[in-house]
Amino acid sequence: MSPGLVDRDGETHVRVIQGLVLSKRRFAGLLLGVVFLFAVPDLVRVAQALDISFFQLGVIHRGLVFGFAAVGLNLLLRHTELVSFGHAAFFGTGAYTAAVTAVYLDVTSLLILLLLATAIGTVMAGIIGALSLRHTGLYFALLTLAFGQLLYAIALGQSALGGSDGMPVRPGEANEPLLLGQSLGDAYGIILYYITAIIVLVGLLVMWRIVNSPFRYALDAIGQDRTRAEFIGLPVRRYVWVAFVISGVYGGVAGGLFAVFRQYVTPAGTLYFLQSGDILYMAILGGFKTLLGPLVGGVLLVVLEFVGRSVTPYFEFLTGAVLVILVFGFPEGIVGSIGEDGVFRRALARGKRGAADLRENPSVAGDWARRIGGGLRRQIDESLTTLRVIVFGVS
Amino acid sequence: MLEARNLRKSFGQLTATDDVSLEFGREAGELVFIVGPNGAGKTTLVNLLTGYLSPDEGSVVMDDQDITDMSPDERVHAGLARSFQVVRVFEDMTVRENVRTVVLARQKKTRSMFSLADRHEEVEATVQDLLEKFRLEDVADAVAEELPHGDRKLLDVAMSFGLDPNYLLLDEPTSGVSTREKEYVIETIVEVSKAEGVTTVTIEHDMDIVTEYADRLIALHQGAVHGEGTPQMLETDDELRSLLLGVEA
Amino acid sequence: MASGLETFIVQTLNGLQFGFVLFLVASGLTVILGILDVLNLAHGELFAFGAYVSVGVFGYITGAIAIPAGGGIVTNVVFVLAILAAIVVTGLVLVPVGVIFESVFIRPIYERDQVYQLVLTFALLLIILDVTKFIWGDVPIRTDSVYSGINQIPTSEFLGINFPTYNVFAILLGAVVVGGLFYFFERTKTGRIIRATAINREMATAIGVSTDRVFTLVFALGAFLAGIAGAVRVPPTAATLDMGTNPLVLSFVVIVIGGLGSLRGAFVGAVAVGVLRSWMITFYPPGEVAAPFAIMAVILLVKPEGLFGTWGETA
Repeated sequence: MSPGLVDRDGETHVRVIQGLVLSKRRFAGLLLGVVFLFAVPDLVRVAQALDISFFQLGVIHRGLVFGFAAVGLNLLLRHTELVSFGHAAFFGTGAYTAAVTAVYLDVTSLLILLLLATAIGTVMAGIIGALSLRHTGLYFALLTLAFGQLLYAIALGQSALGGSDGMPVRPGEANEPLLLGQSLGDAYGIILYYITAIIVLVGLLVMWRIVNSPFRYALDAIGQDRTRAEFIGLPVRRYVWVAFVISGVYGGVAGGLFAVFRQYVTPAGTLYFLQSGDILYMAILGGFKTLLGPLVGGVLLVVLEFVGRSVTPYFEFLTGAVLVILVFGFPEGIVGSIGEDGVFRRALARGKRGAADLRENPSVAGDWARRIGGGLRRQIDESLTTLRVIVFGVS
Repeated sequence: MLEARNLRKSFGQLTATDDVSLEFGREAGELVFIVGPNGAGKTTLVNLLTGYLSPDEGSVVMDDQDITDMSPDERVHAGLARSFQVVRVFEDMTVRENVRTVVLARQKKTRSMFSLADRHEEVEATVQDLLEKFRLEDVADAVAEELPHGDRKLLDVAMSFGLDPNYLLLDEPTSGVSTREKEYVIETIVEVSKAEGVTTVTIEHDMDIVTEYADRLIALHQGAVHGEGTPQMLETDDELRSLLLGVEA
Repeated sequence: MASGLETFIVQTLNGLQFGFVLFLVASGLTVILGILDVLNLAHGELFAFGAYVSVGVFGYITGAIAIPAGGGIVTNVVFVLAILAAIVVTGLVLVPVGVIFESVFIRPIYERDQVYQLVLTFALLLIILDVTKFIWGDVPIRTDSVYSGINQIPTSEFLGINFPTYNVFAILLGAVVVGGLFYFFERTKTGRIIRATAINREMATAIGVSTDRVFTLVFALGAFLAGIAGAVRVPPTAATLDMGTNPLVLSFVVIVIGGLGSLRGAFVGAVAVGVLRSWMITFYPPGEVAAPFAIMAVILLVKPEGLFGTWGETA
């Protein structure tokens, strides 16, 4: 069961690790992705020369970190069908843990900071999970949002945590965490990026493993019919809690990475519910029915934010508009839509059929126009009636 | 043996289960049918036995172990499974995935839920076997939501059998199913029960089926046991017959 | 009167006022949640939008009608009427906003995965946020200039306690609206139809109720309430872009405490949260934030369905 070439369905496939067997095309894609991931620091220099402003190390790094948190969130979202609007709670807990231990406990080791961030973030997930897991659906979303905001408010109010200004993550004389006792100096940003890339890859692999284990089926069952799941012997609450905690691990790690790379944490940047919304947004943008989608969504969203902010101060409106378009037009997200069933192929097919119709029968265009016009008129009529009803009472 | 001991359950003013004491599984693979008009408390009894509801009084004992305080999932692992009157399956999964989920769920330890598909072949063989036993192999890759009613009923029952139980409670497995399909649903249930030695308790309205297949039948009426007997007794014992058939509305 | 007791009473009344305002916000949210099965994340922004609109409307009114100066009964009455008018107009402005949101954006996604509904109302939150920023700018609008008349009204005095008259007015207004809401849902035909739809959607359709219209009506009502809540809340404070978050989150807490969809529960929860918060601010500031959540956590552990259960059992 070691890496190598394998025969499946008459074609050669590549076995990467036990259980992960990919077609040659997919394997090539995977390889390309990994190479690209590690080549980013070099590509950034190229981008600088070409004046592509958004392709900066900081931007990509930030995207990966948040995208990683979104990958964790997706375990709950895609399988257990639980929408958590409080993921920033674990992210922020991880980030603040790193900050606090660096500043108050003088922990200088980078790896220990990350470890502690992960641990405490996970504990927080355990606590919030225990309080929320009896509930599902909208109530669950409401609860997770509330708990997230509670943490935000606490961080905001505690002067020891720097209040609304936040606090730096600067331990030691070099003012930077040390890797295995060594100060990294100017290479800090780049080395940290590589560490992030490694962690992201490992994290993806672990998630892949989880999603291809019996546990995944259990979560799917719980998501689709909790009662039936219980009656086939699944300890529903325990499993939901486990899933919640796993997602918390990803959030905590991401928060820790964020803290050591930015070297500054603020309540608004790590705990505010808009951040939770962003993380959810990333999962949806990238496609929450896939494994890689949330990660891709993360990078994409951060890049879009960067570009958007430089273009207009009304960036939130832009985000909102894109989300609306996403919900109505591309519910499968970017990665999800690329597949065979994806929106793009379907739209293309419909477009081709429409064009063929039009060529054969030009009056089809007239039909379309009339249908659209009729639809619009109906909408307007309905809205006017509703307004009348509201003002004058139900008929 | 699966026993109900003096079970009592009320919902406000309504007594759904009134001091019911019953035994199931006097021998392995016993086929017991529960009959009675709607509202007699048949489903409530199943809900009490499987842990969906807690009794106000009384206890449930399985193989000499008091399971009254066990949660439904614990009871499953102890050997008790059920199907539902209104079909409950995992709608977005295919038939095969539904059955696979059930087989995978047999594992008790959380840790072993994360093991990879090393037992992949073993699991798939079990799944295929179940699919064939319940004549679902042709629709194995159809999504549960899109199946016709009869197949959904079969799937629900197949999933319950897939838990490898000692005691199986089926709630109207043939309701809403066409007459032709009814026969093969019941035949399959009977065949598998006898072959595996699973004591099967079935709630059923169709008296022809009951008289043909039952080892024993029990009549419930207004939450209480109205009568009990074998199909043979039905023929000879007039009093019993009017009791049971009179009750069967 | 002993100043400690006086402070206590004043703060309790302040808490009551905040609680009434919070009830206006939370009631809309819980009704929308109970009947439409939609968690309107944009609800806080409707509140904020209402606050901004009311400042604008009030400024317009006072500019247009030139309140007679010099204090005295006439000035005060005109002033109060102007505020009232601003509040009502604000509510009316929010109604079409609510109608459009529901019929254009939310209705198409009722049948879909819940995640889309949450993403969508989140998107609406962001959109309103920036629309507000676009119209009124980034800088908080201080209301002292616009509402300076407030300070001219003598503070009310009863039982020897001094209490800002505006707050008395706010409490009275709040009580009227609360009463109106309960009356609406228990006594009027429309209100009962709405409750019927909540309890059993199919049954309601069977007796000829257009659920589409009911849903739009309910959402518009929620928007209306959020709007007037903002209008009532703003005069003594300021209008800031982030003022919507706190009421939104506190409304969640209120809903958990009171029970999903329950108006009575929302009232009890809102008053409890409001008063508790006031006490904390005065006597133990660090507790201000945590206290409501502490109650929420207790309720979750002890009575997870909330104090009053769900809509249908008790209105």
